[in-house]
Amino acid sequence: MSANPKLSRFSPLSRIITFDDFDTGLNGWTNLVGNYEGSLDTMLPQYRDLRGPMLSNGTMWDTGSAGSWDGTYAMKLATKPTAGSLGVTVKRLTWRELGKIQLEAYVTFKPEATEMALSELDVRAFGFVFDLQDSKSRVMPHLRYLNALEGEQIGQWQYKSHLESLEAIGGSGKTKSHFHLAGDGWENLPGDRQLLCYNEIATKQNWHYMRMTFDLKDMSFAAFQFNDRNYDVSGMTPMMMPAMANLWCMLNLVFFLETDIDKRAFLSVDSVLLSGDF
Amino acid sequence: MRHSHTAVIERDVTWNGTFETEPYEAGWASEAIYFVRILEKDGQVGRGHAKPQISPDGMHWRDEGTLMGFQESKEVAYVRVARFGNYLRLVGELPPGTTAKVIVYLTLKS
Repeated sequence: MSANPKLSRFSPLSRIITFDDFDTGLNGWTNLVGNYEGSLDTMLPQYRDLRGPMLSNGTMWDTGSAGSWDGTYAMKLATKPTAGSLGVTVKRLTWRELGKIQLEAYVTFKPEATEMALSELDVRAFGFVFDLQDSKSRVMPHLRYLNALEGEQIGQWQYKSHLESLEAIGGSGKTKSHFHLAGDGWENLPGDRQLLCYNEIATKQNWHYMRMTFDLKDMSFAAFQFNDRNYDVSGMTPMMMPAMANLWCMLNLVFFLETDIDKRAFLSVDSVLLSGDF
Repeated sequence: MRHSHTAVIERDVTWNGTFETEPYEAGWASEAIYFVRILEKDGQVGRGHAKPQISPDGMHWRDEGTLMGFQESKEVAYVRVARFGNYLRLVGELPPGTTAKVIVYLTLKS
């Protein structure tokens, strides 16, 4: 693996479950839609307009196409130009053994360069979620980098165990929905804030490495690394709720992005590697 | 094998007056179709129109040159686009007093 330049920048567990290089397409990453029954109007309002992924060549108005980490295309999420708008993408798998899983990715974020200003506080947050279920519980470990909030720089990694209310959808009693990406209830990871390489104008972007390890055996955080920083995850609890009717062995991967002002925010993902110990 | 991808650009959105979709990057594709499926309508949708626009940077736009018409009797309207560079969006207008609840698809092929 160390001789393969596509893989040697990752540190996978013993088995690679999926390796998605977006130079070859979206590889199963798709839009997230809220649950509905009978009519799209039954969807929870926060789910109605989550913006989905596209393949981007990283074009800037002043310098042209940057391409991705090691090719032409990255997966890009773009919000609408409305404060609080979210871009979300999901890949849906299942697990076959309760052991450690690990998500690694190379990512970068930036606001749309609509003005000649640094704009470093325009992106509110980006993050990653595992959406999992075993025989007893649905478990949703959430992590986000809160870059800025209402114009104030934060620069803090956060997790969320706070449960949002579970709402019945439609009339059959079979469909429920909860808007787990809501802005309330996030807690800081231990340690100081982590300031990132944003660079010096809105059209220069640097790629970042992230690694999140989760143990399915006891449904606990096992590790989180972003660039040079390894976080102490021992005191962190994931979002957890009773198992749902049709989600057995679910292993979903979710990236999300939120803008802080009325300007589009962009999250690019060059490549993703999911590995497991089994 | 050729790549293909369908993006849902709008879902269950109500148009009235002028409208524009969010930009979408499609530099890998050589052909595209915008589909508009009308879920509900009120008024004279057939007097409305939409048109694809292209852009060098996703921020500055001009008409690509093709036109999408809507027909009162058809649920689905479409327009084909080729040689569009990297960015695409759809803009258009419905006549005064007309609304349409739509799903917009962008179907791309390499």
